[in-house]
Amino acid sequence: MGELEQAAPRFREIARGKLANAHTQAALDSSTDRLRTHRIEAWAELADVEALRERAHRIRMEVIDDLDGHVARFTAALEARGGHVYFAKTAAEASRYVAEVCTRRGAKLAAKSKSMATEEIELNAALEAAGVRPVETDLGEYILQLAGEHPVHIVAPAIEKTAAEVAELLSQAGGEDVPAELEVLTAAARKQLREVFLTADVGITGANFGISSTGSICLVTNEGNGRLVSSLPKTHVAIMGMERLVPTTADLAVLLKVLARSSTGQKISVYTTVITGPRRAGEEDGPEELHVVILDNGRSNLLRGRYREMLACIRCGACLNVCPVYRKTGGAAYGPVYSGPMGAVLVPLLVGLEHAPSLPHASSLCGACTESCPVKIPLHELLLDLRRDLVEEGVASRFERLAFTLWSFAWSSTWGYRVSTRLARLGQPLAGKAGPGRAWASGRALPRLGRRYRDR
Amino acid sequence: MPAVQLFATCLGDLAFPDAVADAETLLGRAGFDVVFPGRQVCCGQPAFNSGHRAAARRVARSFARAFTRDAPIVTPSGSCATMASHYLPELLGVEPFEVWELSAFLAEAGYRPLPSNEGRRVAYHDSCHMLRELHVSEPPRRLLVASGAELVPFARPDLCCGFGGTFSVRQAEVSLAMADDKLDGARDAGTIVTADPGCLMHLRGRAERVGAPVQVVHLATALARGLRG
Repeated sequence: MGELEQAAPRFREIARGKLANAHTQAALDSSTDRLRTHRIEAWAELADVEALRERAHRIRMEVIDDLDGHVARFTAALEARGGHVYFAKTAAEASRYVAEVCTRRGAKLAAKSKSMATEEIELNAALEAAGVRPVETDLGEYILQLAGEHPVHIVAPAIEKTAAEVAELLSQAGGEDVPAELEVLTAAARKQLREVFLTADVGITGANFGISSTGSICLVTNEGNGRLVSSLPKTHVAIMGMERLVPTTADLAVLLKVLARSSTGQKISVYTTVITGPRRAGEEDGPEELHVVILDNGRSNLLRGRYREMLACIRCGACLNVCPVYRKTGGAAYGPVYSGPMGAVLVPLLVGLEHAPSLPHASSLCGACTESCPVKIPLHELLLDLRRDLVEEGVASRFERLAFTLWSFAWSSTWGYRVSTRLARLGQPLAGKAGPGRAWASGRALPRLGRRYRDR
Repeated sequence: MPAVQLFATCLGDLAFPDAVADAETLLGRAGFDVVFPGRQVCCGQPAFNSGHRAAARRVARSFARAFTRDAPIVTPSGSCATMASHYLPELLGVEPFEVWELSAFLAEAGYRPLPSNEGRRVAYHDSCHMLRELHVSEPPRRLLVASGAELVPFARPDLCCGFGGTFSVRQAEVSLAMADDKLDGARDAGTIVTADPGCLMHLRGRAERVGAPVQVVHLATALARGLRG
């Protein structure tokens, strides 16, 4: 199975473990609530929130409606500036290309800044296989790499880790005892990572946005690692989802305005870097070579029908922070890469429903995600559509389909309703013994069925 | 007297007949002639939310046959009101019906409830469909306050209680943990009032099973008969 795929029982099994861990529950509650509160406060400062969301939505859909055209314009503009563009149809193609660039440049050490796309294509494994050591330089991702784990949140990857756990990991990595105090911890990580920035042969980043008209890519970070990784090493490789384009620099400004507010509640992130091509003659910084890998890896599947709306996603994480299910399960249950409501919609579309059948149901459909989305993706309605597809594509179990079919015939008339509910009333003592009734009764009293309202 | 059609909903009819009777009482007190169309069954939401559109259509047709467009349809369920007003017409390809959630309808009609809840402390739980699809959050609160109740807000009123239809059994553990958080959040008040039979069945069932010191009551009951101490 590929990195994004997951078997049906996985979500529930991992969720059970997370629910049993009091530390994780406390960390999830406080971190999601903090990010959510900051987002709400930041948006409250704006005069016309709906107009801004609408504008951001329109910019994103303009690109998606002519994605091939935008990819072609971006490619031409970047190549004119001396950059290399590679369009990767699959994760394997993307990883192979990056590994080849590293090999050709004789690279041994690759410094990476935070990128969900590189997680998606399992780039680290491909680099290691090619003899290149990848080091994550985002603090959260560095911690997870030391722990041998994956990000659990697309913006705040290590939110489930406590200071004590981080101290232990950094102590082991640095070979000296680091106390569990926040400033000391960041200083220790800074010291360990500085060496990586200065000696890396290749810098690998994602791209928050690309600008079709100029061939520029934009990196948004709060730690400055993205800027170091993209300017110090001689080679810079950026992996960008094919949908991450915006038409112009003015459009980029609109999306930056909504991105930082939605992810962390900042007006703008600490470092916003726009890179247009490699170092030019006469310039002092920047890489000799710049490669941008444009990644499809299933994104073309989304271009049909209403699912195209999901391509508007800017990976801000707002929907994770408001989701009452994510708040309980954390990110791992959804899979190793994308999580929360955006993950529950995106992953089945990228890999096919049969490879992620539990995700469309990993939601109570409360709609908080849709309400929080800065680019107005109707997330909970897309989950409903995916549930329809689960049934119509035959992925839903035969038992479930049979049960709903029988139920629907019975309840298509008052006669059938009366008979079936009369039987249900008689069968009440058995209701908690099997099937959904048993799952219900595992933690709740079953409602008592008495005389119906209509029979009074 | 103007007529209204009462939609009991399947859950109301089967599991919470008293709450439906209380809704009928309130509508009568507000000056409406309440009609109960006898051919009604269910709006089809259980199947619709699980993706079984053909099954949902089969059941939803009973709704379209039972109700007319000549008088407003009022239901003591935010969730079924959402299904019947937002999703059902498109599902069946029919003209929309005029569907109201009970508290929104009563507030719009200017109904003043009896002061039967003087001195009672209450946490009002927004059902997600009512809050985010119908955008009805103030009317139930105003009615409760008008009945004399003191509202004790939840720290996180935005959080779902974890019912979510079949979600409650597909992801039972997560669903229960969400219910526990909701019940914990109402310890101070001691009473949760909600306008949705789904949330009611879930939260009351959980409170009963774990012995939580919280009673869970339908809004119609709280307004028609007053809360018990």
